[in-house]
Amino acid sequence: MNDDHVVAPGRGTRVPRPGRVSLTTALVVKLGVLVVLNGLVLAGIQRMLANDEVAMAVFSGLALLVIDGVYLSERRFVPGKYLVPGTIFLVIFALYPVLYTVYISTTNYGTGNNLDRATAIAQLEAQSVASSDGAIRYELQILAQGDVDGPLAFLLTDPNGNRFLGTDAGLEPLDPSQIIADGRRETIAGYVALNTGEAQDRVDEVTSIAVPTDQGEVVNDGFRAAFAKLQRLQYDSATNTMRDVVDGTEYTVESGYFVAPDGTRLLPGWRANVGLDNYQRLISTSSVRGEFLRVFVWTLVFSIMSVVLSFALGMFLALVFNNPKMRAQKLYRSLIIIPYALPSFMTALVWKGMLNTQFGIVNRMLGVSIPWLDGQWMPYVSILLVNTWLGYPYMFLICTGALQSIPGDLNEAAIVDGASGVARFRRVTFPLLLIAVAPLLVASFAFNFNNFNLIYLLTEGKPSVLGSNAGRTDILISFTYKLAFGGGRGADYGYAATISFIIFMIVAGISAFSFRFTRRLEEIRR
Amino acid sequence: MRRNRTAMAMVSGLALLVAACGSDGGDSAAEATTTEATTATTAEAAETTEAAETTEAATDTTMVEETTTTEYVAPARGDADLVIWADPTTQVPVVEPLAAQFAEEEGLNVSVLGVPGDKIRDQLAKAGPAGEGPDIIIGAHDWLGELVANGAVIPIDLGADVDNYADVAIQGFSYDGKLYGLPFAVENVALIRNVDLVPESPATWEDLEATALQLAADGTVEIPLALQENGNGDPYHNYPLFTGYGGYVFGTNPDGSYNPDDLGIDSPGALAAAEAFARWSEEGLVSKDISFDIMKESFMSGKAPFAITGPWSVGDFTDAGVNFVVEPIPSVNGNTPKVFVGVQGFMISSFSEAQDAAKTFLLDYINSEELQLAMYEAGNRPPAMTSAFEKIASDPIPYGFGLSAVNGQPMPAIPAMASVWDSWTSAYELVFTGTDPDTAFTEAAAAIREKIAGG
Repeated sequence: MNDDHVVAPGRGTRVPRPGRVSLTTALVVKLGVLVVLNGLVLAGIQRMLANDEVAMAVFSGLALLVIDGVYLSERRFVPGKYLVPGTIFLVIFALYPVLYTVYISTTNYGTGNNLDRATAIAQLEAQSVASSDGAIRYELQILAQGDVDGPLAFLLTDPNGNRFLGTDAGLEPLDPSQIIADGRRETIAGYVALNTGEAQDRVDEVTSIAVPTDQGEVVNDGFRAAFAKLQRLQYDSATNTMRDVVDGTEYTVESGYFVAPDGTRLLPGWRANVGLDNYQRLISTSSVRGEFLRVFVWTLVFSIMSVVLSFALGMFLALVFNNPKMRAQKLYRSLIIIPYALPSFMTALVWKGMLNTQFGIVNRMLGVSIPWLDGQWMPYVSILLVNTWLGYPYMFLICTGALQSIPGDLNEAAIVDGASGVARFRRVTFPLLLIAVAPLLVASFAFNFNNFNLIYLLTEGKPSVLGSNAGRTDILISFTYKLAFGGGRGADYGYAATISFIIFMIVAGISAFSFRFTRRLEEIRR
Repeated sequence: MRRNRTAMAMVSGLALLVAACGSDGGDSAAEATTTEATTATTAEAAETTEAAETTEAATDTTMVEETTTTEYVAPARGDADLVIWADPTTQVPVVEPLAAQFAEEEGLNVSVLGVPGDKIRDQLAKAGPAGEGPDIIIGAHDWLGELVANGAVIPIDLGADVDNYADVAIQGFSYDGKLYGLPFAVENVALIRNVDLVPESPATWEDLEATALQLAADGTVEIPLALQENGNGDPYHNYPLFTGYGGYVFGTNPDGSYNPDDLGIDSPGALAAAEAFARWSEEGLVSKDISFDIMKESFMSGKAPFAITGPWSVGDFTDAGVNFVVEPIPSVNGNTPKVFVGVQGFMISSFSEAQDAAKTFLLDYINSEELQLAMYEAGNRPPAMTSAFEKIASDPIPYGFGLSAVNGQPMPAIPAMASVWDSWTSAYELVFTGTDPDTAFTEAAAAIREKIAGG
């Protein structure tokens, strides 16, 4: 039916038009692209299902149906043809990570809680297997009766050199004369000695052997040793508890761990849903409550000042270099880009070295000892200085671009009207410039709000504040990092996700507000 | 750089909604770079966000961006029965012949794969549960806290052979009373002395202090002691001096394991040590401005008579032609200083399906003096087996580090240690910048206790 739609306009007109040919070509291309896309996505869905990523598979399937529907129908959904791909990418790249972050923030995912429950229980039980107290540790040789595929038995040697044949029936003492050599190994008549490879091939059978002795069941520990085992922890699925058979402790389930009555946790735990615990923890930790405001204010100051300073410098340079009378414009412009062309990871570290109080080149050249990165106010100044240095080339670039797009006749008209240079800048150039670059300034603000690299590499949030987890120059994101990864138990992804989500809400709120403001700017032009 | 991309992504349409996208892009990317073990989905999402942004600002690809986006993937198992992950340059050549011998004598396929040391933990956590991980890894004992908490390694029973190893090495690989690794080398700091500047070994730390300050006052040297503080304070390198005054990080249980409930950062000895550091900083013996690079450069160029550092630095000292010796730090305040010791060893993955074969390999092939000496030849770290260590007495540099380790303590691997570093570092920093030492260390201890309790 779609074909009809496409060809129909052509039929009515007798005169062949070149447009008809290209229309068919377009259709072929479109169908080709859709076929490839369908093939890829279906293959992807198959793999997602194989990996138990059901939600993602369902989403991909729905997205595919929408795409097919929109593009195969000729007349309807025309706006959809433009919006659908963008929307789908938006969902995948923006919405999904946000939702996933929210989901992680309601779990206890982190070091000690990254296994699923069943695996954690299995690990706990397996790890609790140990030799029972005072148990004899035997040397072990695994034997097979007849040939290598025959029934298995253990040839055991105790520390005194006494030999036993161990089977599920029990220990049978052997006389030294019964031992015969089998290559590098030992065996007894009627049996062959297995090497590690042969034992590994039948590892399930080997580990299922338990030789009853008066000390308990003797099992293998590796293929060369055996001891009477004791599995201390036993899981009871009926009561959902873990029991220590030696001292009788009952461990009950509590937010992803087995916990003893005295509060001792068994490790590993597992990844469990903890509801809003992480949010509650964030609010109730005294050090967080006290620091949050201070860090938040500095984050705002840092990101706003970074944008303002680098924009001011960048714009100033752009205006200067925009003068057509200037010589070697391109050379200067290229030189200005240098701070931007170098990776900030490197330059931030280089700056840190240069600003070293005792050994840094800045103080050495000036012959002073200014504590650039210490004290009450200097670290703030240094950070803004370095970030302005890092950021102004970008501002220079966008301002240069925007300036060139401002029609020259506007300025000429202003000159005719007798406006001074300052007035022309204030009334004509600057407002027009702002319309073009304001969204980028908002973006730059959002970037600096989370500028972890600079803070972490330049000051690590230092100098420290007595009795506080947040240093003087920590911004929210570096504070987050310290809270989530420098605390209690190593990596704490659930907690990190919680704070990330809150930061996201702040940045999204500020951005939304700013864009509304930007839109007002655009209305000025009309 | 990122600024550009984020900006470009934002302009490119859907203004308001993409603002959310852009800021989140920054967000999740920051997470991806800082948290290596985020689940594959988030990492992928972050990567794809970056990829999408890259297409819009295709001209701007920096080297650093690439390193964050290219994810390391460990080599595949292939059809091997037993797989060992080891450092590609120093360890693979040593383990490979043993693995080949084991393979031949025991009739199974063994492969030794080169995986860089800093990738092993992360890759084990990713590949292990999928059945693609190794059976045996080589790693440092201070990974144990994380590996045990994540159930990634299994205990090993060395039987009576455990007595063949240095106590500090066995304590290092013990966790909750069980041994999790077969140690082969120890790594720690020691005193490095420039023999041309100071011919005689100082009898006590106080002698060293006087000599060093005298040399600096003469103008013979620029820095009396090359002890790195990295602009803040370095608890690891300061630890021997901290213990000289009776400070400690965690108290020990009778079995030698650390007790997280006994934090020693504000013990009387620790406070005395903090006061000593304030004095040393005042008189210029220690400086918070000395970074690793400055430490190394100053000792290499003869601008510093003493350094406190580990085997990782001495290669450069030798190359620079400095005439130096490695020796234990002399008694501080009348007490024997204790250095933090890192232990390297073989561990068995709990995800392995050949755990028994792996144990056999470790006990019968790795548990030998020859292996210890071969590892020492390749890695230049003192062996953990006592008899092997005695055999290297003729090699003064590693032997000197080994002697320093004898009185050392294993670096705590318990999870509580993660809560310690930040505040401890800050405490030193505050002392160096003039805060009262007692207050700085008492406050730090309080902050650490709160963090341990909150974790």
